[in-house]
Amino acid sequence: MGPNFVLIISATIFCIGALGFMIRKNPLIMFMCVELMLNSVNFLLIGYSDFLNSMDGQIFALMIMAVAAAEVVVGLAIILTIFRTRHDLNVDHINVLKG
Amino acid sequence: MPHRRAGLIACGAVGGAFAFSLYALSQMMFLEAEQRAGHVLTLYTWITSETFTLNLSILIDPLSVFMFLIVTGVGFLIHVYSLSYMEGDPEFPRFFAYLNLFIFSMLVLIAAADFFFLIVGWALVGLASYLLIGFWREKTSAVLAARKAFVMNVIGDVGMVIAAFVIFSHFGTLNYLDVFAAAKANLRPNDDVALLITLLLLVGAFAKSAQLPLHTWLPDAMEGPTPVSALIHAATMVTAGVYLVARCHVLYELAPYTMYFIAGVGVITAVFAGSMALVQYDIKRVIAYSTMSQLGYMFLAVGIGVFSAGMFHLMTHAFFKALLFLSAGSVIHALNGEQDLRRMGGLRKSMPLTHLTFLIGSLALAGFPLTSGFYSKEAIILSSYHGEMGNIFFWAIAVLTAGMTAFYIFRVYFYTFNGTLRSPEAHPHEGPLALTAPLVALAGLALLAGGLGHWVDEFLAPVFGAAPVHPEDELLETIAVTAGVVGIAFAGILYMTGRDRLEFVKQALAPIYDLLYNKYYVDEIYDFLIVRPTKAIGAFLEEKAERQGIDFAVDEVGAQIHGVSRGIGLWQSGKVRTYALNMVAGLVVILLFVVFL
Repeated sequence: MGPNFVLIISATIFCIGALGFMIRKNPLIMFMCVELMLNSVNFLLIGYSDFLNSMDGQIFALMIMAVAAAEVVVGLAIILTIFRTRHDLNVDHINVLKG
Repeated sequence: MPHRRAGLIACGAVGGAFAFSLYALSQMMFLEAEQRAGHVLTLYTWITSETFTLNLSILIDPLSVFMFLIVTGVGFLIHVYSLSYMEGDPEFPRFFAYLNLFIFSMLVLIAAADFFFLIVGWALVGLASYLLIGFWREKTSAVLAARKAFVMNVIGDVGMVIAAFVIFSHFGTLNYLDVFAAAKANLRPNDDVALLITLLLLVGAFAKSAQLPLHTWLPDAMEGPTPVSALIHAATMVTAGVYLVARCHVLYELAPYTMYFIAGVGVITAVFAGSMALVQYDIKRVIAYSTMSQLGYMFLAVGIGVFSAGMFHLMTHAFFKALLFLSAGSVIHALNGEQDLRRMGGLRKSMPLTHLTFLIGSLALAGFPLTSGFYSKEAIILSSYHGEMGNIFFWAIAVLTAGMTAFYIFRVYFYTFNGTLRSPEAHPHEGPLALTAPLVALAGLALLAGGLGHWVDEFLAPVFGAAPVHPEDELLETIAVTAGVVGIAFAGILYMTGRDRLEFVKQALAPIYDLLYNKYYVDEIYDFLIVRPTKAIGAFLEEKAERQGIDFAVDEVGAQIHGVSRGIGLWQSGKVRTYALNMVAGLVVILLFVVFL
């Protein structure tokens, strides 16, 4: 298991997340894709931490998870509010900020 | 504030000022004649700059004390008169506040020891005049007249301010005494600077004193209450121009060309205004034109260099013209606001006292022997021929005007007091004591002030240099007096005995009559030459420059920016997924850029 393996896995997961974010219309799924992208980075950080024999990467991963958790709280609250007012969660229909 | 108290405070203030003026006079009389001039009292240093100091200071010399006495004395009598005349006016306190503001401004103008405070006072009296002419602000004609007076006066103010700039740039100071000393030492006669300064000051003097061609505001100013006409537009403010020339006589003596110009304009205004007064039917307008005409005499006097004769006429004129205005006000009061001569008449029996005072005023104005007007006018008319700068034309026009003066004032007199009353519904009666007492006092002054001529000459001599020599010429004197008497007789023939002769004269002189009645069409000429072109230029600029130029450019810039913004705004689709796609695409481009370049 060299660093290339970690890189490839991480890039694959990131691309799956990005593609999912672009393709899916359900905000919950889109949120999961965002988490996927974040976690791909976490994976990379932890893999390199092992490879470089340093604990820094793992600590960073923990911090990213904490930030992601906070972000999810806010995001889910927004999604919940939108659903309560509109009864519709298709992101293509949520376009009030259209220019 | 209760009306009564407001009036008493105002009268008390002016009466106090008069008392202080008398005190100043008594102090001055204790001094030797040579020591009387040039006392500068510095109250406060207002501005100190590197090369410029502005002191709040007053100049006490015989000329300013002389003017203090006239302004506060006549002003006090007119204040007392107003107590009764304005009684019942709902805005009585406002009227007295304005009157006091006027007296204050006039005293600032007279007491100023430098050109700066002269201009301050000059502008303030213009303001007070504006407020008082437009006192009855619900009357459109009064408001328009006030505006006209203000605009005309501001034209003069501009001239004064530019004159002050020229004085400062040339002499480096604005103090009268310093400027006059420097001018005496450095300028040759008819020096360009002297001519420029004197002519610019003259713009202000002519505007304030209603001389040609800036005279049109004065007759319209009669829209104000009658005491205002008496105080401001006869006795005090309009004489400020004469005072200015007298005050700056050092400069004017260095500019003989300007002096000729002043005398010329003065004498032309005298005959011009006198001729217009011949045919007007509004009692106050006749007296207003008469004021212009008499101011012309004063300018003639100062123009030919007999300053103390000019100031003497200023004083006697203040007395008899204030008397005429107040008597006219008494008549107007008795007839409930009627000002048209054609609706008056026969008031001799119902208003004996006013009749007497008006007669005294008329005689003084006409220069009837032994009245005050006789002495002062005679001095001017004689000097206009015998004086250093006099000539036969000045004299002839002055005598002609004297005849006209006698004619038009007795025309008013006969119209008002003779025959029978032509407005049957009115019940004229004499006013209360506050109304008649000032009339009596002024009548006494108008009758007797002639004896003060020599005293005035001597009193003012420290300011003007040696007292002028009075030429003796019995022939010219007789001619001038005869002109006055002929004028009176002519008015008597036309207006006392029968209307047919009057109609005949009117028919015979119809073109001239129309010309005079329409005031030489000066208002119309100004309207055509200045007001309408200005309005046309304004309309043209509004359409071409404003609407099609500035507005168009601004609107177009706005519209273009709006259009561009709309185009850019279309990129904001509002779809989250599109944004994500754009982000990833941008990321990819940056990555490619980093990797391959």
